[in-house]
Amino acid sequence: MAYGSVKCCLQCATCSMVATCLCRALKFLSSRDTKIKEEARLWPQGKTLRLEIPGAKGFTVTGSEKGFRKLPQDTPGDVTIRFKSPDDAFRVFTGQISVAQAYAQHRFTLRGNMGLAMPFVRCVDIVEGYLFPAFLARRILKRLPKKEVSTARVYLAVLLGR
Amino acid sequence: MSAYYEFKLPTKILSGDGALEHIPHELETLGAHRPLLLSDRGLEQVGTVKIVQAALRQGGMPAAETFCEIPPDSSIDTVNQIAALYRQRACDSLIAVGGGSVIDSAKGVGMVLAQAGSDLLDAAGCEVLPRGEHVPFVAVPTTAGTGSEATLVAVVANPAVQVKMEFLSYHLLPDVAVLDPRMTLTLPPRITASTGFDALVHAIEAATCLQRNPVSDSFAERAIRQIVLNLPLAVADGKDKAARMAMANGSLLAGAAFSNSMVGLVHAIGHALGGVCHVAHGDAMTILLPAVMTYNLDKCRDRYAELLLHVAGPEVYAATPADQRAQKTIDTLVDLRRQLAELTGLPTTLSQTGKVRQEDFAAVARTALNDGAIIVNPADADFDEIIHILEEVWA
Repeated sequence: MAYGSVKCCLQCATCSMVATCLCRALKFLSSRDTKIKEEARLWPQGKTLRLEIPGAKGFTVTGSEKGFRKLPQDTPGDVTIRFKSPDDAFRVFTGQISVAQAYAQHRFTLRGNMGLAMPFVRCVDIVEGYLFPAFLARRILKRLPKKEVSTARVYLAVLLGR
Repeated sequence: MSAYYEFKLPTKILSGDGALEHIPHELETLGAHRPLLLSDRGLEQVGTVKIVQAALRQGGMPAAETFCEIPPDSSIDTVNQIAALYRQRACDSLIAVGGGSVIDSAKGVGMVLAQAGSDLLDAAGCEVLPRGEHVPFVAVPTTAGTGSEATLVAVVANPAVQVKMEFLSYHLLPDVAVLDPRMTLTLPPRITASTGFDALVHAIEAATCLQRNPVSDSFAERAIRQIVLNLPLAVADGKDKAARMAMANGSLLAGAAFSNSMVGLVHAIGHALGGVCHVAHGDAMTILLPAVMTYNLDKCRDRYAELLLHVAGPEVYAATPADQRAQKTIDTLVDLRRQLAELTGLPTTLSQTGKVRQEDFAAVARTALNDGAIIVNPADADFDEIIHILEEVWA
């Protein structure tokens, strides 16, 4: 699929939007969901993780006792996950495959210490459990995470950008 | 089975009598003339390194330098030290003679040299590095275990954070893998059993994890059959050349399988036990396999049932009711482990290793959770579940 095609543009736009939602949900849940809170608390001090999508907006995050925090757009990552194509990111962000399946299918590369990416992967699985409908989440995740906050509240936080 | 897969094995395999003597020819075709020979102190003492040196001299290409100081758990510092030696002695290729530590160290050196860097930590990651300068690389395994001669993975310890770091790149694959019967004949029974079980775990995890694919399955299934049939023979009689070569090939097949489908929870916990408690990798694999297979049973029942054919053979497979085959596979592997433990004193519990304390479990579980291998394990595993597995295999 060529860059600039209508399909590619739509995929990139969708990926940018879902990446923003994912980041907002991660931030919101890191002060409310016990497991994500704990991952943020144990996050190595000052370390950053960057998610990159060719042709779309990615993000960089860091964690601390206060939760996960998005950093300015071009902040480099100590570890960087980069999807090989917008199509690969689209598959993950629309719930067609999980992050684990994307890894198994060589759909992204990882620069840096893989150990730092693993807490992020666990958090994404939990966030997807909140954001995706149950039938979708059940199909792609190894197990459904236990929800500690209502999905409506997560969606509200994502929409309001809190 | 993964909906999309990639498979790569560019390594040329030389297997059988006189394979070592072909190394100079292979290096010459790769444009190399001054190999740096890497090994460890133990192999130097038992004369294995001398055999390789003689083969190189006979082919008119003696090693430009020999380095035998690689420790059992190679570290980032060792890799960086060897890279400096390579440049100092103007070498143009690498020959690694040893087990996983030596071959993985050589991979690390190759990566540092190819990227013209000086620190292996700069190269950490998964499928990110461009090829860089080609450093001709010959791997000569002396254990039938790691399969590192056919994998894109290098595991190198980072002592600063007590973690074994994983490096994954297709550019790590050796140009040539040399399986010569002279290389494993002196391996003691205890190490033969431990490393052989490691190879078996590679094959079983490769055959069951999320990344498995039709090509890796064919390698894994053949590896399982070869190892199950020949490991007891190689342990009972180390001079059994046929069994030794079958094990060397089984280990390579298992390596090629898991290089392209990855390993799972047994390795995630095993790496953590190595990093935190210094448990030998093969011992950790031996101890953990049945417990982790049982843990994964609900997700892998059908696949474990299929594997009974390779683990126990057609007669047992046919005689076992379909709904009992998965459990029979695990039971057969437990029997094999018991047989090896009786012959060699191989540990089957963590307490028997004398290296682990129950107080270490939390650190081991935390480290295992952040090991890349856990991502392709069929079943999810959290902190409490890993602790439970460790408690189960404690005594």
